[in-house]
Parts: sequence; C-alpha cells; structure tokens
Amino acid sequence: MPENILTIENLTVDFTVRNALLHVLRGVSLEVIKGESLVIVGESGCGKSVLLKSILGLLEQNAKIVAGRILYRGNNLTSFQSEKDYQKIRGHEIAMILQDPMTSLNPLLTIGYQIEEAIAIHQPLRKVKRKEEVIRLLTEVGMKDPRKTRHYYPHECSGGMRQRVVIAIALACKPNILLCDEPTTALDVTIQEQVLNLLIHLQHKYQLTVVFITHDFGVVAKVADRVAVMYAGEIIEVGTSNDIFLDARHPYTWSLLASQPALYVPGEELIYLGGTLPNPQEEIQGDAFAPRNPWALERDFIYAPPYFKLSDTHQVKSWLMEKRAPKVEPPRIIKEYYQLENWRF
Amino acid sequence: MGKYMLRRLVRSMITLFLVVFIVFSLLRLMPIEGYFPNYEKLTVEQIEAGLKNMGLLDPLPIQFFRYVKDMLHGDLGYSRTYMANVLVTDILKQKIPISMKFGLSTLFLALLISIPLSLAMASHKGKLIDRIGTLFLVILQAVPYAVYLLLIQAIGTEKLHIKMLYHANDVTTWILPIVSMSLGNIAFYTTWLRRYLIEEEKKDYVILAKVKGVSSKRILKKHMLKNAIVPMIQYLPNSIFNTIIGSIYVESLYSIPGMGGLLVQVIQRQDNSMVQAVVVLFAITGILGVLLGDILLCLIDPRVKLNSKGGV
Repeated sequence: MPENILTIENLTVDFTVRNALLHVLRGVSLEVIKGESLVIVGESGCGKSVLLKSILGLLEQNAKIVAGRILYRGNNLTSFQSEKDYQKIRGHEIAMILQDPMTSLNPLLTIGYQIEEAIAIHQPLRKVKRKEEVIRLLTEVGMKDPRKTRHYYPHECSGGMRQRVVIAIALACKPNILLCDEPTTALDVTIQEQVLNLLIHLQHKYQLTVVFITHDFGVVAKVADRVAVMYAGEIIEVGTSNDIFLDARHPYTWSLLASQPALYVPGEELIYLGGTLPNPQEEIQGDAFAPRNPWALERDFIYAPPYFKLSDTHQVKSWLMEKRAPKVEPPRIIKEYYQLENWRF
Repeated sequence: MGKYMLRRLVRSMITLFLVVFIVFSLLRLMPIEGYFPNYEKLTVEQIEAGLKNMGLLDPLPIQFFRYVKDMLHGDLGYSRTYMANVLVTDILKQKIPISMKFGLSTLFLALLISIPLSLAMASHKGKLIDRIGTLFLVILQAVPYAVYLLLIQAIGTEKLHIKMLYHANDVTTWILPIVSMSLGNIAFYTTWLRRYLIEEEKKDYVILAKVKGVSSKRILKKHMLKNAIVPMIQYLPNSIFNTIIGSIYVESLYSIPGMGGLLVQVIQRQDNSMVQAVVVLFAITGILGVLLGDILLCLIDPRVKLNSKGGV
C-alpha cells in the first residue's frame, strides 16, 4: 500500500498587488506518495512555483494562504506561524533546489562553506568530519577534484557546477522530500541531461521523494512516476506517467502534449494553444479552461467541474468525463504518437 | 595581486606628485605678503633680504626640488602669518589628533548605531520599528545641519548641564560634539544599509539559505549583511581619513582646536606654506583612501579581482 508522505488539501493562496487581490492557487489538492517522483507541469504563471514555496513557507509577504492544509507527518504546515516553525521542517525534512543556480548561492562565501553550513545544522558532526562530508558530497554530485573545488567561490563555477553544489547542499540536509523548482530550465541542454540523470541517480540512492516542477515534457518523460497537470491555480489532471502520456483526457493536457516540437516532422506546422491564462484578479465562473477549450460544453461556463476518477491513479477535472458528455477525440498528432512504440520524448 | 598593487601605488604616487606640483606652482603666483607676519612695517630692503633668506628668490625648479626634498624629510616649512615662525608640522601635529579623535569616535558611534538599526529596520520592513526609524532618518536628513546642531547644544547645556566648551581633559565635553557629528553619519549609513539589506532579502541565495534551515538571525548577519556592506565598504577608508579634515561647524561651535576650517583660515591669512601643506595633506588622504577602499573591497568580495584594470 503506497503511503502518502505529503498531502495538500484545497490549498488556496491569494496575493495582494497594489490593492488588487490575485487568486493564484485556487484549491490545489495533491498527494505525494513516499519514494515517488511527482512532476507538476503547467505553463508559466499557473502557480507551480507558488505551490512549492507555500510548502516551505517561502511565500512573499504579500501572499496569504487563505484556505487549505498541507499535511506532513501529522503536522499541518499551513498552521505554522513563524520562521522558527518552518525551520523545523526546512532542510532536514523537506529541501529544495531553486531554478537559477547563477543566483542561488551566496557570492561571498565558498561553495564548501555553504555546504558545510547545511551539514552543521542538520548533522551532528565535528568540524573535521564535516569537511570530509563536504568532500564526499561534492564527489557524490560529480564535482571534479572536490578537495580543491570546495574552496571555489560561486563565480568561479559554471552553471552546471553551481546546480550540482545546490544539489549537494540539499543532500547535506538529509531530507525526506526534495522539491525541485525547474532545476534545469536555466541550464543548457547538455548540462540539463547530466543534472537530471544526477537527480534520478540520487533519488534512488537516497530514497528521496521528489516533487519536480517543469514546463518541459521532455523532463516529465524522463523523471516522472506520476504527473499532475496544473492550470490557472488548479490541478486539472493527475495520473501515472502512463496515464498522462498514453491516455491523457483533459483538453489542456492534450494541448500541452501537442505543443512538443519533438512530435512533429520538420517543416510541419505546430499546433499551439490560443488565448491566455484567465486574469487571476477575476473570480472564475465555471471551468477556468473553458474559454480556451475548443470542446467546451455549455455547462463548462456555468459550473466548475469536479474530479472524475477514471482509475485508482487517474483523475481528470473536466465535464467531458461525465457520462452524458459527447465523446471527444484527442488531436491527430496525439493519436499518432500514442501509436509510437517508444512514447518517451 | 602584487603586480597590480605596485602599479596602483606608482599611479597614486604620480597623482600625488601632480597635486604637489600644481599646488606649488599656484602658490608661487600668490602675493608675497603671505611670507611675512608684519609685512606693512617692513622696508623694501628688509623684504628683499627676507625673501632671499627663505630661498624664494632662487629659480623655481630649484625651489620646487628643495620643497619636495624637504617634504620627504618631513619638513613642511614654517608658518608665517597664521602662527609666526612656527613649524607647520608642529601645528598639524597638534591639530590632527584632535580632529581624528572626534572623527573616529563619530564614525565608530555611527556604525555602532547604524548597523543594528538597519538590521532591525530591514528585518521588520513596513512594521512599526521600520516606520519610526524611517521618520527619524527623514527628519535628520531634511532638517538643516545647523538647526539640530544648535538644538543639541541648547538641550545639552541647558537641560543636561553639560559644559559647553571643549576641554581636552574633560571627557564630558566631548559628548555633545561627537553626538552632533554622528547624527548625519547615522542617517547616511542606516539609510543605505537598510536599502541594500532589503534588496538582498529578495535574492535567491537568501531563499536557499532559508531552505537549508538557517535561522533568520544567521541569514541576516552571516549572509545578507556582508552582501549589503559590499557597496559601501569601498568608501570606508575614505571616511576614516576624512576625519583628519575635521568638522568646521562643530569644531567652531564647541571651540575645539582641530583641523576644521584650518584651510579656510590659512587661505584668508595668505599663509603660503600652510596652504601648501594642508592641501597636500588632504590630497594624500584622498588618494590613500581610494587605494585602501579598493583593497578592502577586493578582500571582502571575491568577485572583484585586482588584476589588469583599475582606476587612479
């Protein structure tokens, strides 16, 4: 029986920007299973990062969790009031890798120092042992010549090296869950591949639970056990990797999949999703995706759809899953690619 | 770094030499009254003899060479009209320590208050302590210097019964001048430090430090403060050296026999050797301040490398 390590229930987050209230997360419910790698995918601005930040209490001052719970080992993280409360779970329980390795290290401290700082907080080691641990971690993340490189300052390292250091810092905390906020987006493609492989390797070695956010389906295909698709502050489809890649049901998931250039023959016109995300300032009537949905039903504009459970693992938030709804077919490009032997990008 | 330092030093020396040369040349154009405390009473012959005695009738290159040579031996000549026939170095030796004593205590007090104050304000941004602090800073910067100088003097002497005039052996008489001089510095340092700290707070490395589980206090002191000080550290040596120049208002308000206003006085008295000495002294402190500022910056920020390129 898979055990949930983290449960998010109806998480609702509002931002106040110049007296306007923005509804950024509009009731996110999500379960993270121990040991899995869950990928949250969605376009920019759908609230992926905010979701991760709210788990660790990293939201800016103008953001407020207005409803919902985040349950981790019997604690409700949304009830935490102070930085002190969050310190109990940051690092040792849940660690995080940020998007841009160029800015996520302190420019004035050596990388060795920054790793050692994490060790000093989370592992009861003497100073000499800590130095050894720094060297071990740097070796673990594939840094060459760690005895020398630990004295490097961040500006002396390349982007890939810095992201390895950030990963080493996360490992130094000995976390149960590792949150990755687009850890490869800022890197170039060859380095992306290396860093992803490293993360997958470390996940298995240290039996980490990984929550990964990205907008790159290539990354999803590579790392995901399960996939949650996010749109306008909601999870609209969630399922195993197979559910999403071979049997996606939500029109938004289709359009995300169909927008992968890898599926097309060179020269062929790409299918793209028209329109924009709904204005987060407005209350949304019905289904948030309805205005951009070519298959939208009349009731999509009136009532928000519930989650329809297609199997134990696969849930879809769309009226198209209702019994009486017309049967719709995914776009041609997706059907074609279902036929492919190897559906991984 | 050694090679760069050497080049920097050579360049600083050249700058200094130019300043000395220009000051020397300009002062040769000054009227000769400045060489005699009792010019009006002297006859033409006496003046002639006096000038000859001082070597002022020699060709200019020889005079310049002698001047530089003497200066290198620590001889800046004699004051004539400011204090008749007293060694310039003796005058400066008396005045500089007094001004520096006040300047350094001022700087120390200002940093002692500014750093914790800006840390408190930045970490409680928008809260009560930040608002009160900001109000205090705005008042300090908006009200003309002279107004609160007088206010401090009035309150200090009338209400607190502190003796007004400076006395070297009575420490209580130092309090009012130091407080007066600190206020401007406090406003300056706190405003900028708070601003830089708030800028740092949004940066990713602060978020990563939080994610690591580092306490807020430690993030503020170990991570943010150091980064926030970087843009200011370069100017610190300069502010230390500038204490030599002294404060013209405060020193005259409390009758402190320091350097404040000395340059103005010696120019008014046309005391040529004093003007020469004081201008060169200020030039040295300026050049040295910039040089040390760059070295300090390079020590604290590893991204700054002292290599091929650099100023002054």
